[in-house]
Amino acid sequence: MLKGLKLASILAVASLALAACGSSGEEATESVAPPEPTVAAVKVGMAYDQDGKGDGSFNDAAFAGLSKAQTDLGVEIKEVNSGASATDATREELLTLLADGGYNPVIAVGFAYSTALAAVAPKYPDTTFAIVDSVVDSANVGSLVFAAEQGSYLTGVIAATASKSGVIGFIGGMEIDLIKAFEAGYIEGARSVNPDIKIESKYMGAAGDNTAWNVPEKAKTATDGMIANGADVVYAAAGGSGLGMFQSVKAAADGGATVWAIGVDSDQYTVPSLAEYKDIILTSMLKRVDVAVFDVIKGVVDGAPLVGIQNFDLSKEGVGYSASNSAVSEFSGAADAAAEKIKSGEVTVGTTVQ
Amino acid sequence: MTYLKSRRFIGAAFTAITMLSITRTITSNGDLTSTVTIAQALVFASPIALAGLAGIWAERAGVINIGLEGMMILGTFGAGWAGWQWGVWAGVLAGVIFGAIGGLLLAVAAVTFGVDQIIAGTAINLLALGLTKFLAIVLFTDAPGGGQAQSPPIKGDIPTFTIDSIVEPLTSLHETGIFFISDLAGILAGLFYNLSLLTIITFLLFAMTSYLLWKTAFGLRLRSAGENPWAADSLGVKVVQFKYAAVVFSGMLAGLGGAYLSIASTIYRNGNTAGRGFIGLATMIFGDWRPGGTAAGALMFGYIDTLRLIDTGNQNVKGLILLGAIILFAIGGLMLRKAKRNSAIGFLLLGSVMIGAYFSATSFPPEVAQVAPYITTLLVLATASQNLRPPAADGIPYRKGDNH
Repeated sequence: MLKGLKLASILAVASLALAACGSSGEEATESVAPPEPTVAAVKVGMAYDQDGKGDGSFNDAAFAGLSKAQTDLGVEIKEVNSGASATDATREELLTLLADGGYNPVIAVGFAYSTALAAVAPKYPDTTFAIVDSVVDSANVGSLVFAAEQGSYLTGVIAATASKSGVIGFIGGMEIDLIKAFEAGYIEGARSVNPDIKIESKYMGAAGDNTAWNVPEKAKTATDGMIANGADVVYAAAGGSGLGMFQSVKAAADGGATVWAIGVDSDQYTVPSLAEYKDIILTSMLKRVDVAVFDVIKGVVDGAPLVGIQNFDLSKEGVGYSASNSAVSEFSGAADAAAEKIKSGEVTVGTTVQ
Repeated sequence: MTYLKSRRFIGAAFTAITMLSITRTITSNGDLTSTVTIAQALVFASPIALAGLAGIWAERAGVINIGLEGMMILGTFGAGWAGWQWGVWAGVLAGVIFGAIGGLLLAVAAVTFGVDQIIAGTAINLLALGLTKFLAIVLFTDAPGGGQAQSPPIKGDIPTFTIDSIVEPLTSLHETGIFFISDLAGILAGLFYNLSLLTIITFLLFAMTSYLLWKTAFGLRLRSAGENPWAADSLGVKVVQFKYAAVVFSGMLAGLGGAYLSIASTIYRNGNTAGRGFIGLATMIFGDWRPGGTAAGALMFGYIDTLRLIDTGNQNVKGLILLGAIILFAIGGLMLRKAKRNSAIGFLLLGSVMIGAYFSATSFPPEVAQVAPYITTLLVLATASQNLRPPAADGIPYRKGDNH
């Protein structure tokens, strides 16, 4: 009987691994003909990571850039998803599929594509590739990186200015350098306003733990804890888990507390699926993935592809904060002043937590 | 027997609270036994506990249910979809029904066709994952507030209860910081603070399982199908029917666990089970295929998860390290009394290492807390595996009339 138990435990683990390989679907979602094909229509291939659009955040921002290109430049588009448990091999397949299909540019949305793209790009020297949030060293790849720490610095300034308690919070998704840069900028910005401010940070999962982006109930508990400890502004860079922060802050606000949430990537104040939480979303750190995606497509359409490292920072308006909620106007003076200092080089923002 | 059992339960509870109290006093970290911590731990523990309970039902009838995760995924999806359409209770119902369909599938494959149960369960995990993803794209993509990977918000709330007349005095008693008394007060208050009706249902299902499976003729027959189905058959027990009933009910429980998760985060989201079906399976083994131990295992996972998430400045992780050390010393002491010298030395050494870590390190990575329940389960499996007793015919395909 113990043999059976052992077998069961081994296979339980194996089934996890199998689930990881088996589920990565190549779900082609949409293929829309261009409204008015100009010259020879440019075909844009876009590969999302995880489950793609509908996260109200990062992927939706990429899609916004794509649809802008579709309307403004009349390009043809094709979108694919890697699925939540994709491997590098399946990501390679997706990119190869798009490149073989004559899509040019091929845009990989998310750092998870780095390894796959590095393998595929050299095989298609005539195709322009782009990757968001990562650097791939190849002559035909545009690496679209964002100075998230600069944008987060501004939200940190806003948070510290808005906070009455002197305690603010940060919810991170997966604990990786990419997200730590958000935390670092946020902390630095907050300390520039109030050197004694207390910042509570919490990550939803360790590096490699893909569930970190999908556990809103854990983000909610973490935010509850921060608010209970006096935090009155909380900023989340946690993908789908961010919803939990909004829920927690909303519950606290409904209970009569003055608390704010700060969104990330997209302007979450205007995201329809978050309409319920609008009132408590003070601002969002904008990572203009839409601008970057549009620029890449425009580059190919104009015959001047963007390759190499493209750093979208404050001066290129690649990052920033949103002013959709009028409540932020009270604090935007401080944020704009900080932005000027960063642009002029008076302040340089680090990417690691000090 | 009952007297002995309740004495054992009270003894275990007393020991647990004492250990928590010692840790709380040394670290002076009130969060360890605060009302909010305990209430939240119940919320995190319940879905895991339901998955564990689901495992008990299937495996007591002799069917290994690796498909728990898949059935749970079906439950999260059912709850997200029906909850969005018709409200939260429809969501609960749909979660249970979707889970039952997963259970039925396993029963057909494993009981009727005698397919290897591990393979059948794995297939259900894969199927559920793919199917729900596909359906999410079809049903939620264009729905307002939804997306390719998540459902629109579930309508309505499950009622929760806070009994102020109990919670308030006990919480203020907790804040006094008296050894043992204030910890007991915090824990008791946590049981009556923001208590969800679904948590109460979970508790009742555990009580019902204990009674049905161990105190009734129905339970004896069901368990006989997992211990020795051939003997049971010779006595006229309809083994196949019992296995079917148990596995389908197992699916319903796992589905309810999934529904609990979706409702707790107000939406269905791809992957929001985050492996809790497998964790449920681990708690079942931890609990020796019995409801009480399984519930304790689930509470441990829920408690540690909560402490990690509501942590301020890593104090809770530090507290957990100390708690772990105290537990290891206690087990080590027990082993010494039982004259198991080698195991005792192992536990005492490990405990000393943890004490050393507690006093020398200023901060701990929060990952330490994340892996703690898994390490505990491994420790339990490693040290208690001689005493753990799965049903004798667990995982063995049964064919009526076979000789054994």
